[in-house]
Amino acid sequence: MKTVGTHGKGRFVILAALGVGMSLAYNPAAGQEVKQATLWGDMTAVSQDMLDRAGSDASNWLHTNGNYEQTRYYPATQINTANVRKLRPAFVFQTEVVESMETAPIVVNGIMYLTTSFSHVYAINAVTGEELWHYKHKMGPITTYCCGPNNRGVAVAGSRVFLGTLDAKLVALDAKTGKPLWEMQIADPDQGYSETMAPTVVGNKVLIGTNGGEYGIRGFVKAYDAASGKLLWTFNTIPENSVGVWATHDATGRDMKRDIAAEKLALAKLGDPFKSLGGGVWQNPAVDRATGRIYFVVGNPSPDLDGSLRPGDNLYTDSLVAVDLETGKYVCHFQYIAHDVWDLDAVSPPILVDVKDKLGKTVPGVLHGGKTGHVYVNDRKTCGLIRFSEAMVPQENMWVLPTKEGARMLPGANGGVEWSPMAVDPGKSLAFAVNLHQPMTYHVESTPYPAGKLWLGGAFKVIPGEEQWGNVAAVDYNTGKVVWSAKTQQPMIGGPLATAGGVVFAGEGNGLFKAYNSATGEVLWQFQCGAGVNAPPVSYTLNGTQYIAVAAGGNVQLNYKRGNSVFVFSLAE
Amino acid sequence: MNGRPQGRPFLVRFAWAGMLLAPSALAQDPARGEQMGQACAPCHGPNGNSSDPRYPVLAGQTVRYTYLQLRDYKEGRRQDPDMTPVSANLIKEDMLALAIYFSEQKPISIRFEPDAERAARGKYQADVALCPSCHQGQYQGQNEVARLAGQHPQYLKKQMLDFKSRARTNDAGTMTSLSATLSDENIEDIVQYLAGLY
Repeated sequence: MKTVGTHGKGRFVILAALGVGMSLAYNPAAGQEVKQATLWGDMTAVSQDMLDRAGSDASNWLHTNGNYEQTRYYPATQINTANVRKLRPAFVFQTEVVESMETAPIVVNGIMYLTTSFSHVYAINAVTGEELWHYKHKMGPITTYCCGPNNRGVAVAGSRVFLGTLDAKLVALDAKTGKPLWEMQIADPDQGYSETMAPTVVGNKVLIGTNGGEYGIRGFVKAYDAASGKLLWTFNTIPENSVGVWATHDATGRDMKRDIAAEKLALAKLGDPFKSLGGGVWQNPAVDRATGRIYFVVGNPSPDLDGSLRPGDNLYTDSLVAVDLETGKYVCHFQYIAHDVWDLDAVSPPILVDVKDKLGKTVPGVLHGGKTGHVYVNDRKTCGLIRFSEAMVPQENMWVLPTKEGARMLPGANGGVEWSPMAVDPGKSLAFAVNLHQPMTYHVESTPYPAGKLWLGGAFKVIPGEEQWGNVAAVDYNTGKVVWSAKTQQPMIGGPLATAGGVVFAGEGNGLFKAYNSATGEVLWQFQCGAGVNAPPVSYTLNGTQYIAVAAGGNVQLNYKRGNSVFVFSLAE
Repeated sequence: MNGRPQGRPFLVRFAWAGMLLAPSALAQDPARGEQMGQACAPCHGPNGNSSDPRYPVLAGQTVRYTYLQLRDYKEGRRQDPDMTPVSANLIKEDMLALAIYFSEQKPISIRFEPDAERAARGKYQADVALCPSCHQGQYQGQNEVARLAGQHPQYLKKQMLDFKSRARTNDAGTMTSLSATLSDENIEDIVQYLAGLY
């Protein structure tokens, strides 16, 4: 990968040369507050070729998770294990929104596009931090969201920036000015739909899933035409026959203690529950450009804890699903947990890498970090399971059924790996995950669908006196072994970045942003950001300098201290 | 009932009657929300700042919470001898206009002095029950989850006990489930803690 990094930097030098004398041009026509978001003349457009080659592009950070494969692996080595201790803030960009930040900034040709809670977008100079424009979404009167008014970022393609909003819209902005070009209503927020994920753009399509698994929605992934906003296809994550095969054991072979006879009776009485079965898609799909398939994971069934109202396997909740990019047609799926009543669903975005199959042969694989604490390794061709890793956090009492009084089970309902993406280092065959350890009791309370209100079917409680903590874990996806695990003071949420410099970066709720040796887990550097660092870091290189950027805005779900800043680091002279 | 002037619910209906046929686009018209909100003042106080501990402070409440509660009263998922009839004739745009209006009013502190020991125990109980993960760290609420900070303790306690006894069940199970794990003492502690916040 080193050669790739060098290539990227070489290309950067050319860009820099073109940029001489073309510093940020203020364009009066664009309005008083807006400066043209371009450092390099006309080279602002993001071509499909750039998006395809993002994994080897050491200048830019073009996708939320780095590339279509979602490896979060950055190919430059300027910042490495030997010098990362010299990392210092280059600048701090403060937004006007002091609320949880989950954004993975996109960096293209010297411009950084970052988002905040309540669906704001900022374009800033990625070297100086100067604000270029600020898009403040005019929010509709109804927004419905379970876990904070979050936004995880934008997608870029051509000269456009795409944003999903809390009131369930998809918005296309002019990348230079931040002016909206079109806006589409994805679904009805009054029915529990909202958007916090970053879209994914490939070819002429903008792909986006939906939140709402806590609200009795029927989940989907939709594809929109990038030019016009026209809806091209919809894949419902809940098929009209959601019953499945009455699986009694989960992907790891553990008995889920289902009462199949009672479920069959309920099915006869209630019918298929597909219309309000949930199945949100919270995170970006991975795109396999060779086969024209996309891979995503589908979240929990609704209501979370009460299975009595939703007999059957509840397809395709808690599943890896592959669909055809052109048509949106089903290709294959694999359900990690059938008829989930613990909210230990599938959220962390899948990663496409080559893996060893059971016979030791290298095959195209898919990784997913589960809330169960396992990394699942599946075959990309069939969606079938190849292996699952050792648990990265303590497991206990799985699978005890929730009770009215509360049943203790580990992991607690936040995981394991929550929505946090994983990163991989393909050279080491390691997947890096951030985890939570939060002992909880699971309480069930059967209630009919409450019309657009939070519908958990019970509640979760933490257990007084039991310690909570987190970790960063490295898992060899070819063996399933946990190679190292670095404990943190608090449960972790946000996600890691891995680099060719042998460093893994990840932030914590207490404000610490840390660099780990990716081979050993040793902490090499840390910086106190002053608010929870609960967003996935990114990296880019400009003017020959590699930067690491991460948002410090805290987190709603774990109630970590709120902030409003993106910290950008580079090596001290 | 509740010792209030008996004719008031009629007046409330009368005050709103003229607006029932208004076009639906008016939900976000501030004047409409303010005008309708006046009709709530006899119980909920000026601008939704109730000084009568039986009636909740509505000022600063989240839009979606107020809207959904009105909708639930109208559609029978929540019952109250006063609110059920009052909400019967509201259309969606009325409910939204009211919800937006009250969310935009500044809550005035009720100046409640909590028992410090009870409030400390209440904070602990609330943390264990993961209350902040929905109601937020300072209990400002979000979305459909109510703002609780600085709410009248008498009202808070009644709601918690109603959830526990299932007299109130329009929360989809979360609050009925959690309150079932709390003793009446726990509830009093939590109420002391919440009412003392601002």
